[in-house]
Order: sequence, then C-alpha cells, then structure tokens
Amino acid sequence: MNDIGNTAVLRACGVSKEHGQGQSLVRAVDELDLAVPTGEMLAVMGPSGCGKSTLLHLLGGLERPTGGEVWLAGQRIDTMSERALARLRRRSIGFVFQAFHLMEELSAAENVELPALLAGCSARTAKRRAHELLERVGLADRARHLPPELSGGQRQRVAIARALVNEPLVILADEPSGNLDTAATLEVLRLFEELRSAGQTLLIVTHDERVAATADRLISMRDGTFVDDTRLSDSATMRLGDLIGLED
Amino acid sequence: MQDVVLAMLAKEPTHGYHLRARLRQALGPLGEAMNAGQVYVTLARLEKAGLVSCERTDGLPDRPDRKVYSLTAAGQRRVADWLAEVSWPKPDLAEFHLKLAAAAAARLADPVALVGAQRRELLRRLRDAQRAAMAEPDGSTAALLLEGVMLRLQADLRWLDACERTWSAGMNESEG
Amino acid sequence: MGRILLIRRLVLKDMRRHPAEAAMFLLAITAATATLALGLAMNGATNNLYRQTRAATAGPDVVAMSAESGQAALTTLAPLKHAPGVVGHSGPYPLLYTMLKAGGSTVRAVVKGADTAPGPIDQPRVTTGSWVRLGGIVVERGFATALGVRVGDRVTVADRSFPVVGIAVTSATMVYPWAEMGGQGDGTDDYSGLVWLTQSNAQALSGPQRPMFYALNLKLADPAATQAFVDSYRTSTIPVNFFTWQFIAVQDAVLLNDTQPVLVIGSWLLGFLAVVGVATLVAGRAAKQTHRVGLLKAVGATPGQIAAVLLTEYVALALLADGLGLIAAWLGAPALVDPSAGLLSTSTALTRGTVISVTCLALAMAAFTTLGPAVRAARTATVHALADAARRPQQRTGLTALSARLPTPLLLGLRLTARRPFRAILHAGGIAATVTAITALLTYYAQPQQGYDLGSSTLSNLRADQGRHVLLAVTVALVALAAVNIIVITWTTAQEARRSLAIARTLGATPGQVSAGLSLAQLLPALPGAITGVPVGIGLYWTFSVGTMAKPSTWWMLADVLGTLLAVAALTAVPARIAARRPVAQILSAETP
Repeated sequence: MNDIGNTAVLRACGVSKEHGQGQSLVRAVDELDLAVPTGEMLAVMGPSGCGKSTLLHLLGGLERPTGGEVWLAGQRIDTMSERALARLRRRSIGFVFQAFHLMEELSAAENVELPALLAGCSARTAKRRAHELLERVGLADRARHLPPELSGGQRQRVAIARALVNEPLVILADEPSGNLDTAATLEVLRLFEELRSAGQTLLIVTHDERVAATADRLISMRDGTFVDDTRLSDSATMRLGDLIGLED
Repeated sequence: MQDVVLAMLAKEPTHGYHLRARLRQALGPLGEAMNAGQVYVTLARLEKAGLVSCERTDGLPDRPDRKVYSLTAAGQRRVADWLAEVSWPKPDLAEFHLKLAAAAAARLADPVALVGAQRRELLRRLRDAQRAAMAEPDGSTAALLLEGVMLRLQADLRWLDACERTWSAGMNESEG
Repeated sequence: MGRILLIRRLVLKDMRRHPAEAAMFLLAITAATATLALGLAMNGATNNLYRQTRAATAGPDVVAMSAESGQAALTTLAPLKHAPGVVGHSGPYPLLYTMLKAGGSTVRAVVKGADTAPGPIDQPRVTTGSWVRLGGIVVERGFATALGVRVGDRVTVADRSFPVVGIAVTSATMVYPWAEMGGQGDGTDDYSGLVWLTQSNAQALSGPQRPMFYALNLKLADPAATQAFVDSYRTSTIPVNFFTWQFIAVQDAVLLNDTQPVLVIGSWLLGFLAVVGVATLVAGRAAKQTHRVGLLKAVGATPGQIAAVLLTEYVALALLADGLGLIAAWLGAPALVDPSAGLLSTSTALTRGTVISVTCLALAMAAFTTLGPAVRAARTATVHALADAARRPQQRTGLTALSARLPTPLLLGLRLTARRPFRAILHAGGIAATVTAITALLTYYAQPQQGYDLGSSTLSNLRADQGRHVLLAVTVALVALAAVNIIVITWTTAQEARRSLAIARTLGATPGQVSAGLSLAQLLPALPGAITGVPVGIGLYWTFSVGTMAKPSTWWMLADVLGTLLAVAALTAVPARIAARRPVAQILSAETP
C-alpha cells in the first residue's frame, strides 16, 4: 500500500467527516485511507447514505474533512484557502454529477468553455478546446443547443466534456448514471472506458454494480468505512460463453 | 439446445453452417463458446430421433458440407410444444445458501468471507458482461441477452449483500 | 480577457433568460432615480436660470424704483446714477400701472417705457417677434403664456389698442405674476404682468389717474456687493425702493416651492417601493442563484469571481437605471424649473452633486436588495448549494398554532405571511408609501383653489398647478410601481410556497381556497400599511403647507384605504389563481428530493 501511496495522484490519510454533534453526531466518513494511482479507474460502491458522496466531496475539495489529510498531486488540499481550492478544482479536478449541473442558460459549447474561461484561457483557446471535446464525446453537432434541448445521456456527455476541458489530473464522478436509462448509461460508460484507455485517472462513486464493475478496482463502502477493496482488472477473464449455460 | 435448433429450422430448410451462423448472430459475443461440432452433433441426434430429415444437395463444390436439414412433421409438433412451454430456469441459490449455513454451523469458514469471495467472482463476471455490452453496436440482439445476464448478476450481487448483512449481524450477536 | 468574456456572457444570458425581472429592476430603479434627479435639479435651478438670463440680458445689479411719481421721481433718482460704487446705468424708464385687455381677460399690467434700442443695462431678450417700436407692444413671455397672447394679436392697454410685435424675457423684473415688484408706491402687492412700449407711447398713456413712476437700472463695480449698496441708503429717507438681482432670483424661485419637496419625498417613497419589489424579486431567485453559485464553485470559480458574476448583473442594471433617470431628469427639468416661462431656459446642466447623489441612490438600492442574497449564496457550502438547499423560511409556531382554528383561506394566508415576516413588513411599508402619496394628493385637491387675481380676471395659479401636476405624476408612478410590486410579491410567494400549497391541496384544500389564501397573505400586511399611510400622508402635507390646511373628508380617506385594499385583492387574484390551478402531481413530482 505504501509504495502505491507515494506515487498516488490522489491520497487520503485517516480522513473523517462528521455531521452534527453530541447525540446526533454522524460520522459520514470514518478515518479512511485511500490512494488512487495515476491512470487508475476506481469505483467506490455502496448503498445510499454510506458516505461515498461525502468521500468524493472531500477528495475534490468541495467539503473540508473534520479529521485527516487529503493530498492531490503532492499538495495537501484540506488546509487550503477557499480561493486556492477553487483554483485547484478548476485546474486539477473535473467533476461529473448525477444531476449534470449544467448552466441552463448556456449552450453546450459555452458550458464546456466555462472552466477554461474561469482558468483564464483566451476566448479563442476555450472555444477550440470545447469544440475538440464535444467532438470527442460525439456531440459536435449539438454545440449550440441549450441543456434542456438535450437528452439525459447527451447532457451527461456535455458535463464530462466540461470536466475534461482543463485536462484535470482526476475526474471525480458522483453517480454519473443515476439519472440515465440503460442506453444512456452505456454511452457514458463507453466514454469513461475511452478516457481510461487514454490514461485518465477516474474515481466513480455509484450504487450501481454495473457501473462499478467497469472499473479497474472496486471499493465497497458501508457506514463510512471501506469493507472491501477488489482489483477487477487483473483477474483472468473467463470466456464470455461461460456466462450463459447452453447445454445440449 | 435441441429445441433451439429445431425452432431455427422451422422457417426453411437450412444448411448446417447457416444454422450455426444464425445462432452466433443471435448470441453475439456469448456464442463464441459454442464450437462448430456442437450444432452437427445436435442435428445428428435430431435426425436419429426422426425430428429432422436431411438431404444432400449438388453444386457448391467448395463447401464440404452439402447437407440441407428440414423439419419432419414430428419435428414441427415438437417445435409447437416447445413454444407453448412456460418453464423457466430456477434460481439456483439454495446450494450457496446451504454452504453458508454449513460453514457457519461447523465453523469451517467465515460465511462473510465466503460471501466476499463469491461477490468478487460475480463482479468479475459482471465486468466481462458489461465490457462485452459496451463493445456491442446499438440495437444488437446480443446486447439484449447481455442485458439479461447482467440483470441476473446484479440481482445475485444484491442477494449476496443481504447475505453479508445477515451473517455479519449473526456473527456479532453470537460473539457479543 | 477570457474571464471578462465569461462574466459578460453569464450576465447577458441570465438577463435574456429573465427579461421580465431585468425590466422590472430597471423600471423600479429608474423611477426612483429620475424623480430624485428631478428633485435635486430643482435645487438652485431657478437661480441658475436667472443667472443665465441675467447674463444674456445684461441684467442690472440693482433696480431703483421711485416711490413718487412724475418729476419728483426723476429728481430723486438722478443722484443715484453717480453714487459711489455705481459704474453704469440705464434709464430712468417710465412705469405705468394700468389694466390690460387680451382675449376675454382684463388683468393688471405694468407698462414699462423702453428705448427702441435698449441701453447698456437691461437688454430684454426677444424670443419671438421684434423689440418695441412706435405703436407696437412687447409682452413679457411668462405673462404672454398665461394670457395666451401671441405676436400679431392685439391687446388693449389703458383703452388704447396695440399690436403685439414681440415676446421678450428680462431679468430686471421678477417673473410673472410679480411684475409690480412690491407695488406702485402705495405698498399693495398685486399680481400683474409686464409689457413694454416705447417711451413716447408710454408717456402718452399717463394722466392724472395714471401717474408715471420711474425705474433706474444700476450697474455696480462689485455685483456681489449689492446689499452693501442698498444698506448705505437705508438710513436716508429718499423715497426709492431698491431691488437687488439676488432678491429677484430668490423671488423667482418661489414658484418651485411646492414642486421640490414633492419630488424629493416622492423619490424616497419610489426608492422604498423599488427596494420592496426588487428585494422580493431577488429573494425569489435566491434558490436558483444559490444553485448557480454551487455550480460555478464546483467548476472552480473563486469567491471573487462568483461575487463578480452575481453583482455585475445588478450593478450594471442599476447604473443603466441611473443613466436613464438622469437623462429623464435632464429632459424633464426645463419644463419644471421655469413654470412661468419668464426666464431663458437654454440648458439645465445636472450638477456633479446631483449625478453623484443619484448614482449613489441607484447603487445603494442595488446593494441593499442584492448584496445580502449574493453574499449568502456565495457563502453557502458548494455541496449544499448544488443540492438546491434554498433558505428555509422561519416558522412562527405561535402564529401557526393560532391559525389552526381559522377558516382554510385565512389559515393559509396567515401561514404564508408568517413564512416571510420581513417581506410582509416591506410589503406593508410599500402599501403605506403608496397610500401616503394618494392621501397627500387627496389633501391637495381638498384645498380651496386660489388662482391669481389680476384685477377683473383670475388666471390659474402657476405654483399650485405645477405642484399638483408633479404630485399627480409622482403618485401615478408610485401606484404603478406598487401594482407591479404586488404582482411580483404574490407570484414569488406562490412560487416559494408551491410545494406546501400543493400538499395543502392533497389534504383537501380547493384551488379557490389556495388562491384566496395567497390573496389574503398580501392583504394582511396591506391593511396596516394602508391605515398607516393616511395619517402619514396628511402629516407630510401639513409639514410642507403654509397657513391653514383643509383636511379631506373622512369618506375620501375611507375610500382611499378601501380602494387600496380592493386594488391589492384584484392585483393578487390573477397570479394567485394561476398559481393555485397548476396540477398538484406535477409540482410534487418535479420537486421530490
């Protein structure tokens, strides 16, 4: 664990998050250690309320832990100022949410340009990158559409393009398929797979086994703690035909 | 398998290799387990049982297989029966359930660990199926079968979660 | 560069998405800024106009008018031409006090004899027609406007008919209706107008019944030291009345005495109403705005960038409203600052002080209404903001418990009011402001109308007319803004409470009861507001009125309050009905967390 920990792009050491106090104290995340090496696609799975979303917020600097440390690319982020955190988020982290969280008044392309412009890119660079990314997610022809004019799967792909625009170190996805049907989920998973093979580090939080199963590594979470950590990618895959029993 | 082959002959008399190609198309990546011989063995058995008749055709010298198979009257009746049938594969969970019970009773192994191992196995299967589904083009019939496989695996995984909760609670109680 | 583009884009797209809100914001603040700018433009405006007119007409520093008539007057005035401090003079010019007939009116007039080529001091500016010539009369512009006289008309002065050859403006005499400047030596101060004839024509009119008085225009070495010059003659007993140019300027401004307080107080009331409406509007958007903030935070916007996005929109709109208000004042002021038309209104530049005050008002309104919600939104933790955690309204448990025994609409109304007590107070204040203005207007109309008595005919009172017109305009603006506010408040309340109202409907409340509840929620604070407005309106009127004041009848005041409440009920009815009739299932399913 230690050798991975040192090369990990994202690392949590004994990180905790408590809500409320006294009798109503809830430990959403309870002294967790986690290391995500570069290029890994990691899924954190568990029932709703197990603390997985809180963990993702802590790792992405959206919430501050009540204990422990969070490190991203060798920088400790849990003690950063709000301003520095904002800079870090726009430069190094891409978020993908269940509810997409696109700006409804901006077109698909403008949504993708948003983090680039916030980071100080010139209008032209932002425009070019947004175009490239929309092409990559297969929505180049929808660039001028407003989010309400797009399907759920298309909106989520725009959100993924937006998360990618500043070439982040890590993509953090919170229930990316929660609002999607099977076909749209498949679209998003294909996109993640493409990112993974391009070496993108991805952390996906989900309660959907099918989404989780596409990851290289799967962590199961219950009541704020990890209960299982399985590497799925290095198992010898069976012949697909064995999944069904076609006997004579 | 026999019923499947019979039903596929119901449309028109067919060569063995056509039959195999059609099967593979419907099964998609899951059909790769099926070897070439399997179809012919099945056809031979069906012929022997008088459900299928076979004719040799001329021409096509490049093909070693020139047999065309068609249904007999008995074969057609059998197909009709098969279609009307409503039997369904039964979930085979009892064995694993009893395994856990036995392991716990005899303290042979930790049931939670058994569940964990089983879960990992199912997750790997799910991963394979999901990756196969992601590789399928939109609207493929094989994807539908993969979908069914995955839903089954998901159901099984959820049942395993339930097993884990129950057995870990049971352990704590007996210990505490 | 990219960041500025981004802020501009977010602001513009947001405005385009909510055009009605942007328009309402603009309208409300423009109404307030325009009124304040007008009010402030009144300040010293007449003085400015008088100075401009004085410069354009080579106005005298001091006008010496004889209290005697005939040769005695000339003898008295003669030494003044060479008195210490005097550097120039023109005249003495003859003055006659007589009656003038024009159209159907017979009015008092002052006839001033003039040179066909005016002397170095007091060169009246002819605005239409030409200057006096033998047999032709020139009418002072304010007087001409009041009489409706034009060049080419004929007027009769002292039974002799003259054609009007010109209309002119002077700074040597007070504006209409004070041409007599303290009377013809007998101390009576009557309303009258000014006309010019050639000296010979004027002299021909004089007789035993119409003695000739004289006026001498003086120029001093130091125009500012007029008072010292006048004081040096105070102890002597020469029968001369002195009028300094400063005194004339002050007297000219009396016409605006009613207008300015109406405008300034009106701008406060309008400003308050604008704040009520805009604050409600902004609060209604708080939930959405918070979500926007969460989203911007998640994609890495710093707190500063978020504040820039949130505030730029409102500040830009406020500055636009500021500009519009100033332009409106600049265009509107000339019509207001010179009701008698007796001065040259070349331009009424807005002073720097006016611009700064009005801009401050606009920015203060924007800050007051938007800063709180913006800071709250920017401070909300990202995760909560994204989860659409709108500010939960406070519950007043006492009120809620009490309301449980009431009929359904009243119960709903009370609970809706209790949800946002601060808004209810603002709303009540807005209604009070409106009723204050209406009451003041009613009081104004209740006063006995006193026109200018110019002898046989009475002409309309410029000061009162102007005051009434401005008060009417301000009241209309207030009522219009209040109407928009009521609709905005009802709609916002309905939007915010749509979930609980939908639940009330699943529990058996009818759409009628719900819409009645929404209307009642606006009427409850409106009632104390309307009742407070009546005494405040009368009190305010009393503060600025001189002498005795007639109160409007009780019936009028009752009608004022009831009419306001009825108007509130009517205005709330439409948005309340629309809100109450939306399908329950749609609301509940759209908002399941």
